[in-house]
Amino acid sequence: MTRYVMVIDQRRCIGCHSCTVACRTWNELPLDIVYNPVVTEGIKGEWPNVHRNWVPTLCMHCEKPACVPVCPTGASQQDEDGTVWIDYDKCMACLACVNACPYGMRDQSKLQPVLHRFVRKCTFCRDRRAMDPTADPYCVQTCHQKARIFGDLDDPNSEVSKLIGSVETTRLMEDLGTEPQIYYIPDLGGKA
Amino acid sequence: MTEIDIHADGVEMVKSLCYFCHANCGVLAYVKDGDVIKIEGDPDYSNQSGLCCRGTSALLHLNHPARINHALKRVGEKGEGKWEQIDYDQAIQEVADRLNQIKAESGAEAVASAGGTTRTDDWARRRFLNQFGTPNGFHNALLCWIPTFMAETCVAGWSPFETDLGGARCLILWGMNPGASTLGGMHGYTDLHMNGMKIIVVDPRYSETACKADLWLPLRPGSDGALALAMMNVIINEGLCDYQFINTWCSDFQELASHVAAYTPEWAAPLTWLEPDQIRTAARMYATNTPGCIQWGCTWDQLGKASTTASHAIAILRALTGNLDVPGGDGMPGPAMNFLTDEELELNELLPEEQKAKQISRFKLTSWPGYTLISQTAKRTWGKTLPTEWFCEAHGPSVFKAILTGDPYQVRALICNATNPVNSYGDSKMTLAALKACEFLVVVDYWMTPTALFADYVFPAAGALERPTIVTHYGATDSLMGGSRAIQPKYDRHTDMTFWRKLGLACGQDPANWPWETEEEAYFNLMQGLGLPISCYDDFVTYFRMYYPPLHQRKFEANGGFWTPSGKVELNSTIMRELGFPGMPTYMGCSESEFETPELVEEYPIVLTTGGGFMPYHHSEHFQMQGIRYLYPDPYFSINPKLAEELGIEYGDWCWIETRRGRIKMRANVEPEVDPRVVFAPRGWWFPERDGSADLNNPFGCLESNVNVLTSVDVEDCDPMGGSWANRGLMCKVYKCTELDHEYKPEDTQFSMPGSSSEPGITVKPSDQKLARELIPFEKPQPEIEVPEGFSWCWQNNALYQDGTNFRLDESGWLINPRTKGYHDAYTGWRYDAATELLVDDESGKKYDMQRNEVPFLAGVRGYPGAEVAPYEHPEHLRWNVEAGYAMLPDKPYVFDPNSGWMLDPENGAYHDAYYGYLYDSATGTLLDENTGNRFTMSYEPVVE
Amino acid sequence: MRHHFWKWPIPTYLFLGGLGGGIYCLIAILSLLVFPGIDIVPQTLAWPGFIAIVALGFGCLMLVADLGQPLVFYRAFVKSTSVLAWGARLLTVCVIFGLLWFVSYIPWAWFAPVANFFAFFRVFNLAIAGIAGTGIMLYTGIFLSTLKAHSFWATPALPVLFTVSALSTACAAICLSIGWWPAEYTLGTIVASLESYEILHTLDVILIVVEVVVLLVMVLSFLGAGNKTANKAAHRWVHGSYAPLFWGGMIFAGLLLPELLYVAGEGSVASHVIAPVLVLLGGLLLRFLIVQSDDRAPLPGEDRYFNRLAKPDDAFVTAWTYGDNLF
Repeated sequence: MTRYVMVIDQRRCIGCHSCTVACRTWNELPLDIVYNPVVTEGIKGEWPNVHRNWVPTLCMHCEKPACVPVCPTGASQQDEDGTVWIDYDKCMACLACVNACPYGMRDQSKLQPVLHRFVRKCTFCRDRRAMDPTADPYCVQTCHQKARIFGDLDDPNSEVSKLIGSVETTRLMEDLGTEPQIYYIPDLGGKA
Repeated sequence: MTEIDIHADGVEMVKSLCYFCHANCGVLAYVKDGDVIKIEGDPDYSNQSGLCCRGTSALLHLNHPARINHALKRVGEKGEGKWEQIDYDQAIQEVADRLNQIKAESGAEAVASAGGTTRTDDWARRRFLNQFGTPNGFHNALLCWIPTFMAETCVAGWSPFETDLGGARCLILWGMNPGASTLGGMHGYTDLHMNGMKIIVVDPRYSETACKADLWLPLRPGSDGALALAMMNVIINEGLCDYQFINTWCSDFQELASHVAAYTPEWAAPLTWLEPDQIRTAARMYATNTPGCIQWGCTWDQLGKASTTASHAIAILRALTGNLDVPGGDGMPGPAMNFLTDEELELNELLPEEQKAKQISRFKLTSWPGYTLISQTAKRTWGKTLPTEWFCEAHGPSVFKAILTGDPYQVRALICNATNPVNSYGDSKMTLAALKACEFLVVVDYWMTPTALFADYVFPAAGALERPTIVTHYGATDSLMGGSRAIQPKYDRHTDMTFWRKLGLACGQDPANWPWETEEEAYFNLMQGLGLPISCYDDFVTYFRMYYPPLHQRKFEANGGFWTPSGKVELNSTIMRELGFPGMPTYMGCSESEFETPELVEEYPIVLTTGGGFMPYHHSEHFQMQGIRYLYPDPYFSINPKLAEELGIEYGDWCWIETRRGRIKMRANVEPEVDPRVVFAPRGWWFPERDGSADLNNPFGCLESNVNVLTSVDVEDCDPMGGSWANRGLMCKVYKCTELDHEYKPEDTQFSMPGSSSEPGITVKPSDQKLARELIPFEKPQPEIEVPEGFSWCWQNNALYQDGTNFRLDESGWLINPRTKGYHDAYTGWRYDAATELLVDDESGKKYDMQRNEVPFLAGVRGYPGAEVAPYEHPEHLRWNVEAGYAMLPDKPYVFDPNSGWMLDPENGAYHDAYYGYLYDSATGTLLDENTGNRFTMSYEPVVE
Repeated sequence: MRHHFWKWPIPTYLFLGGLGGGIYCLIAILSLLVFPGIDIVPQTLAWPGFIAIVALGFGCLMLVADLGQPLVFYRAFVKSTSVLAWGARLLTVCVIFGLLWFVSYIPWAWFAPVANFFAFFRVFNLAIAGIAGTGIMLYTGIFLSTLKAHSFWATPALPVLFTVSALSTACAAICLSIGWWPAEYTLGTIVASLESYEILHTLDVILIVVEVVVLLVMVLSFLGAGNKTANKAAHRWVHGSYAPLFWGGMIFAGLLLPELLYVAGEGSVASHVIAPVLVLLGGLLLRFLIVQSDDRAPLPGEDRYFNRLAKPDDAFVTAWTYGDNLF
């Protein structure tokens, strides 16, 4: 089995937003759609004892996605490898999934014609990987800092498996029980 | 969702380079039917497939609807925005005619040219300017590396800018934020940091990089010089120097030690707002974790008055710790020895001396006076030198002032190539006024910038994917990297080199001086010396992509010294002293501060720092790029919550930031990113989405949120050595925009000279303004020895150098070529070839003996005409031909080669045996009697066919 | 935090759906359980039934109008497991069977063959419509409460609240319209109307009390405990920006005042007309306030991030169109 996950190494991320822009250009997204916002935790603390952590996000490709069961048309679906995606031809943009996602990772573009909107979100570059099975999602490829690492969690030799096995990772909003598949290695700000 | 398959048939992958900043990351362009359909970062390049916001938007840039696609000729009033599209070549001819006319009327120096950052083939520009005869080319170079480079070169003979991080134990990122400016570099720093290399970040801002540092020094903006001097004091006082290195390779250490004795951490603490212990910790961390590196930071060149003092001090820090040109230290590449440097492409020899003297700059280190000394030393020690582009330029702001005032003379025409000076140079209001006043303005750009709006002609520039790219770091390093052109320029866009070449030819310049029609030809030409098996430039990109000379550190050992006039690392620089500057870094404060101008601080109590790079923009670029701008649509300045609370400012509020020179509007980013006494404002802002002609006081809002309105370029505020003006450590006040005071008004846009918002108009002529530090008179010692004609005496090392070649006249009476360390004959310049013990005239290829008599060579065999007997042994049956000086067969013209024992045919170099003169046929390994056609083995047995 | 994805049509639909579903639920109960076999009772309820159809139809229209691709709304019928798909089906069933039930009461002579034909199925049609109506009434609240992303919705109190409110508004709507055409104006229908009216009136008096209790329990419990997000929303209701609407609009004008008018103004216009209208408006306001309270637990720094993003109508967004070259 294949189980695609992403590990985000916050120790490496420097908040350049390249992944966000890269995703937009590669996927040719409308301007108001952001698949993978890099949000910022902090700056916390009082000058000069401050700390900041960037939190690159994207669809969490939850093992138990909240967005898929609410879809009335079956457009929202999950591949066997865990990829959650939307069949744009089936979506009627009722926004049930948009409201269901606890991470706010889905939206429709308001810049598209009123009668032809559909809900979009990150698909782990499903179509890019379909054309070249060895390719990483584009945000992973473009990250200068190599802060985004993509791979198969079921493969014990993959980089993601090794990282998750060796470093403490966290996930966002684990209490909701959706089993998000994006693992974060936090930057704890250990200054010498 | 993309329908485009880059793996489909008919899609070609081209190895290209990004061109949106000078990190020049590798880009793979997927080209189909002459158009790029997708790009990706090149995984096999130093960026390891990484591309930032800007690079990844290359396709949007290529096809942006606001790009200039055709040559535009102004048809309305200046600034009215009425253009006629005309043929590119016709526009070139019209511009050339006008330039020639101005040259005829006012001299070539009345034509100036402004550039931006290193994004163009500037050797081509200088090639044009030199042939045209004007010394007034300039860039924003004085804010970016050049003064530092020159100071470092004065100290050690080249800039030690190529950090060898792999072996480093400590790295100082000083006034440098690679996390927002050079992401490829940041990747490496992060890797090494996670593997234990210490990182010290010096930055008043809690920058992207500071977040990751081991030690972060949030100093007062502008106090870098004080910090460097105090660190030097600690390193010397605590005995943390590398004494062995100092004793062997440095001069004047004791002088330096007493010079910096007063610069204690306690002295620096109030100036830098750091605790003395913080300074000590930093100094110890750097000095005890050797080898270590200090990465050059743009800040050093943006401190105004204090700029070169700071970089001079930092240059010495590297020397004291023995980090110069050692493994794991700061590598000094020197000029490229085996490919042509930019300087060799510039035709500097065509610019007459009297024109050099007319260069508009009072800052000697970075103009012809300093360049001449530094360049002469470089030629004497490396054998090659720095380009004049960047390293020897007019002082940009002074040229703008000359346009306005005619002081020192009227500049009538300006060619802006890849720059929008209103936003990127200092004192924007004055600069805008100058551009408006300029009699003849030509702009080469991607966009209709505020500058282009006032142009008489606008030329469309080809961008990243439309041009091949070669990276040689301002022509100051010995490695190069290359990328191919993905597609031919779209529409009527042309590359910079093509522009200058066409303009040069149209001005009547000698076509022999413009031999290359395309960059590919020019680049191929420059890399001939590498001896690579390639037949064109694209071959280089395809098969090599980059060239690095074998890493040669500790070159100073092989060279027998550093590349300064004295051969030592000059802790008390002789070149600086000769130029009238202190030879050792001598503290100088900012133009305005609580220490220097307490009266000003009452009204302007907050320290403003600006000029730093910030994602996702680059300088004043990319505001048109919607996908990027969407993330950062408005200018935000950073302010500490404590200060914001005091001033009643909340996140997102539009505020005025005001200095003595004027005010601008930005939105408040309230977070503890800066000290409560400091605000940080991003650079470059303008609003290309507006109608530029609607408000000619403030076209495209180019003054409204542009920090350069707040900066000063007055002579006394500039670095007296390099001419940098200050972006860091200005004094300002900040207040919220109210309902009544929300609009940018015409009075906000009025310029003045010297810069002041209260008294518009020109009150002081630039040449009446004083330098920030008076020059110290320097009397050059008189030669102690007799200087033969054609030679110059170097007072520092008491040596003689031949004019022109810059070869040193050795005590042995020979000239020594610094590049090859080879000997040359002092009278003729002919090179001594140790293998043949002959003199070689490399120009003609002729060889001479020690008596300077020409030595004949036939088929590569030396002849000894006139010798009675052969000076070597030869088979007895050969006859010694006294007249020719060869051993020969009686009936054949072949000459005997004593080295191989064969007879050689002077006609074609063919081998013949020494007994019968039979031709050796290498294909069959037999000897051929050409008279009979018979063949023989090597032992003269007939070969039976 | 990105939220407020659903605009005004959705709360309007939630209100109208609850209203229509509730009306059919009550009609069915009154006609089939309380007064079984007395044909005059459903006749007086035919007009309220029509109103329910209009409400459901208009609600549907709202729902479809809010779709990104309204023309393909039928896709909602394809997949069976989601609550929303079930809602759509219930809605359709309720409207169809309610309509069939209603047409059987149309007294136009030329229509008689049709009316008579469907008169035969009245009980069946009404039963189906009633069951479907009950389903609609329940599912709106259940649907919202399953969206765990929004903690203010994710409470079992919400389906209860929506159901009570639906019934309450249905009572009010029926009270306002009972006994109109196509019921004939006879003594029998007047008596039947009054009988039903009394029951509904009493029911609504009770429902309002229940609704006040459920609403306060839900909001105040979030105020006291609950997670941060729900807590924040509750604060907004109780003493934040929604407080005037909540206390003044919802609790007072939408619940307590009509209750007072129902009880104290017995027999007056205030009780017969004003109070039910207030109940209806209160029900609409409730849906708006709830849907507006779609707070999500924000990702760290999310608000600042999205705040800073450009707006779709910013000048630079609209200034250039790819393909239209300027120079």
